[in-house]
Amino acid sequence: MKKISLIICLLFLITSLAGCGGGGSPLNPNDPVTLSMWHNYGGDMQETMDVLIDQFNSTVGKEQGVIIDVTAISSSSELNKSLDMIANGDPGAPDIPDIFTGYPKVAIQFQEKDMLCNFDNYFTESEIGEYVDAFIEEGRLSDGGLYVFPIAKSTEVLYLNQTLFDRFAEETGADAGKLTTFEGLAELSMSYYDWTDAQTPDIPNDGKQFLAVDAWFNIAEVGMVQLGGSIFENDALSLESDEFAHIFDVLYKPAVEGGFAVYDGYSSDLSKTGDVVCSMGSSAGILFYGDTITYPDGTIENVEYNILPYPVFENGEAVALQRGGGLMVAKTDEQREYAACLFIKWLTASEQNMRFIEKTGYLPVTKQAFEEDMTSHLESLTDERIEKMLTSVLSMYDSYSFFTAPNYPAFDDDSSNYESEFKALLTGERSKLIAGEDVSSEDALAAFIK
Amino acid sequence: MLRQALSLWKKERKRKETTLHRRLILFFVSISIFLILAFALLLMIFGITGKDEKTVETHINTELTDIAQSIEDDFAKTALDGISIAESISRRSDMFFLQHEITPGELAEHPELIEPLLAEYMETLINTVKNSYCGGTFVLLDATVLPDAPYADTQKAGVFLKKTQPLTTEMVGVKIHCLRGPAQLARDNGIMLLGQWRMEFNTVGEQFFEDVMETAKNNPVLPISRLYYWSGRVVLEGNSESGFLLCVPLRSSDGTVFGVCGIEVSDRLFKQLYSPEGDSYDSIFTAVAPLHTDGLGTSRGMIAGNYYLTGNRLIEDLTVKESRNSFEYFSSTLGSYGGKSQEIKLYPHGSPYEDDGWSVAILMPEEILNDAIEGNLSYFIYTIIVLLFISLIVSVVISRYYLKPVKAALDSIQNNPYDERQVAPYLEINDLFEFLASKDREYEETLREKEEHSLKMKNEYEQAQREISRLAYLRKTEIDPDAYSEFLESLSRLTKTEREIFNLYIAGKSAREIMDEFDITENTLKYHNRNIYSKLGVTSRKELLRYAALLNEEQKH
Repeated sequence: MKKISLIICLLFLITSLAGCGGGGSPLNPNDPVTLSMWHNYGGDMQETMDVLIDQFNSTVGKEQGVIIDVTAISSSSELNKSLDMIANGDPGAPDIPDIFTGYPKVAIQFQEKDMLCNFDNYFTESEIGEYVDAFIEEGRLSDGGLYVFPIAKSTEVLYLNQTLFDRFAEETGADAGKLTTFEGLAELSMSYYDWTDAQTPDIPNDGKQFLAVDAWFNIAEVGMVQLGGSIFENDALSLESDEFAHIFDVLYKPAVEGGFAVYDGYSSDLSKTGDVVCSMGSSAGILFYGDTITYPDGTIENVEYNILPYPVFENGEAVALQRGGGLMVAKTDEQREYAACLFIKWLTASEQNMRFIEKTGYLPVTKQAFEEDMTSHLESLTDERIEKMLTSVLSMYDSYSFFTAPNYPAFDDDSSNYESEFKALLTGERSKLIAGEDVSSEDALAAFIK
Repeated sequence: MLRQALSLWKKERKRKETTLHRRLILFFVSISIFLILAFALLLMIFGITGKDEKTVETHINTELTDIAQSIEDDFAKTALDGISIAESISRRSDMFFLQHEITPGELAEHPELIEPLLAEYMETLINTVKNSYCGGTFVLLDATVLPDAPYADTQKAGVFLKKTQPLTTEMVGVKIHCLRGPAQLARDNGIMLLGQWRMEFNTVGEQFFEDVMETAKNNPVLPISRLYYWSGRVVLEGNSESGFLLCVPLRSSDGTVFGVCGIEVSDRLFKQLYSPEGDSYDSIFTAVAPLHTDGLGTSRGMIAGNYYLTGNRLIEDLTVKESRNSFEYFSSTLGSYGGKSQEIKLYPHGSPYEDDGWSVAILMPEEILNDAIEGNLSYFIYTIIVLLFISLIVSVVISRYYLKPVKAALDSIQNNPYDERQVAPYLEINDLFEFLASKDREYEETLREKEEHSLKMKNEYEQAQREISRLAYLRKTEIDPDAYSEFLESLSRLTKTEREIFNLYIAGKSAREIMDEFDITENTLKYHNRNIYSKLGVTSRKELLRYAALLNEEQKH
């Protein structure tokens, strides 16, 4: 009898005191924690992200006491600048957000200063095992910790304004098969420039560009791999190779003579106004391509876009860039880190991940979504643009190898310097050409490497 | 359990005699109750029992006052910025029209001039975006680059520059995107096009543009500073972000109203600036909305705060339901909210929109507000009950543990002779045992002495009896048998009184005792003695007593 009384008393005590603990979770639904978030899913993708975040806030977040508050949506390059300021402790830098999107190269800066949460502390091995291994590995930094969590991946593709190309092909007999190689693109671009230039005989050199690219550096780093080399050597760029000379030569002529656009913004900007026929950029940029182009005089034309696999240098291997950063979580305290990881687990779970890619054109990151759900979802997609893109990218995953940029500390500087210097070189060479001066690929290459 | 304790207490109150255990429990329980109640009283004095109505009201009032003041100040500053843009753009336009020898009204007939004109505005728009907290700046002209197109009536040329991080300023770097405007114009200024970029505005569903133009045309003498207008929350076609638009009409020097410019207060900016303190109450939020006669036009308002709503908005208007507990309650089909509201003034005196009321409200879902008003009283009471229960259990356990050796000692005393070798854990009990032991020894000593005395007395008595028998026998042999026979025969001749006196003599009483017994004088006794002596044939009391002793002996045998 005494024992029974004792047990009853103990049970009563335990149930009375149960409210004092949190059952292992540091969260309290009655005192929710608000996490600030920066992401780069702007434009049409913003609504999808907003809806997902709202859904999290009103379901799992509400039940467990987490509120995600998006305080900035910007392009990844802009976010990088702000994050750079934070990492460097620049005056006027904003507070570090709890969750932000970025690339591993950004993560290195923060991780060196011990400012990032290691996801290994909040995800079990089996949970991490549910994600595509290659994507997880990308987020592991030098100490082996997982600091960049994959949310969505992309590769680069060739966006083709089929309407404009058909018009061009009809007139000139251009071969669509040449769109598969950089050499073919160079040839087509010059043909297109000449064809458009000829339409206004009174105005010389007003031909239109055929191709715009988001990042010249990406062509160089992937092109080198396609040709069996590497642009990286000992954590630096190595440009003195036959492979690079070939890449340079293929790109130089059309860029200087007007076939390729040398432009500071996204290539989709030029597509929107019909200034180019095709553009090379991230597969996730699909939503920036509508079904119309607006000409400078205000007229709007309905057009059709097609998504083609990433071009390959002749005699090269089919290799494409695997892009896409991930989510990082600022190192704060256990409650905030736990809350952030709870959100990331929810957001990257197959169901949410599929909803995200269905609306944005990114690739999913869980094995189930990537290997099973995506194929079955293709038919039910409502956005034809995304269906086209995913079909093209899935076919690339069957026949291409994928290259991931390295994470060495100076990578960011190297790539951005390459980009700006290459553009400056091409712009200068074009100006010289228009001014009637002699230009040559060999001299330009020598100057560039120097 | 409490009921049991109460009944126990009542029972004990009626019955003065109780067990040590019960008294100790009651003692402990009383102390515990006193301490717990004192603790509770202290908590209540220091206001730690939860948030009551007054606290909630004070908090909401403070938030409302602060936020309403901030909104009025910030919106007024934004209005000044907007007026400044309008004046700058109007001046530049005047010069442009002069240069191109057209009147403002003829702009629509010269679509080729639109992009150059817009280019004139870029510096002003970019500077405003860079130097103020805003979601963006815009200008719309009452013209389109394609006046002959079938949709020309609803197309308006213009520029909308967006800022993705609304709280940044030039100090930390601002990135600007182009949502509307000629693409080349954006490129020339190093501005990227947003995904939702369109060249021109589509005014279908955005009536505010026409309204602002119309109002300005109808009030030609009013200065621009009286003609600005705050739209409710709008989402431009294709845009994923909504916001309030400050719209200021553009009026040329000849009085022609040729467009509208303004500043966007985006929902992201609004949320970052006007959220109530996040750690105060769950789900508290700020709402700013046009004031309707029956409530708040929240479907066109914005909200800010940690409340789980889709986006930064309530999708329905709120109707006033009631005023209760000094709070206002609003309802919509999606839910009820309670809190406080305050009208704010967004327009100056003399503005055609002066009567358009706006309101700021600090609200919570009704059930959360009611919980906050009630405070944590239920938790508080629950805690007190749990503490009382625990103290009761502890009292029972401690008193039992405490009294265990005492009870064992008492049992030991009751059931067994005291063993001096036993040692109790309490000094007082050991002292008691020693005291009882010494008393025990004293008692045994006294008993032994009494028994010895009794035995001695018995022996002495038996010896005396034997002496009496021996003396009686001796007397008998000394007494004349005849005289003794006469004495025995003469006893019957004694009167009743004489017989009683005689018996007393035989019983060994003295003359004084007999006088006291019969309350007679000495003479009277002597008189009776003489009669007794004469009747019994004795001559002295000594002789009489000798016969009497012999008589006694014979009667015993």
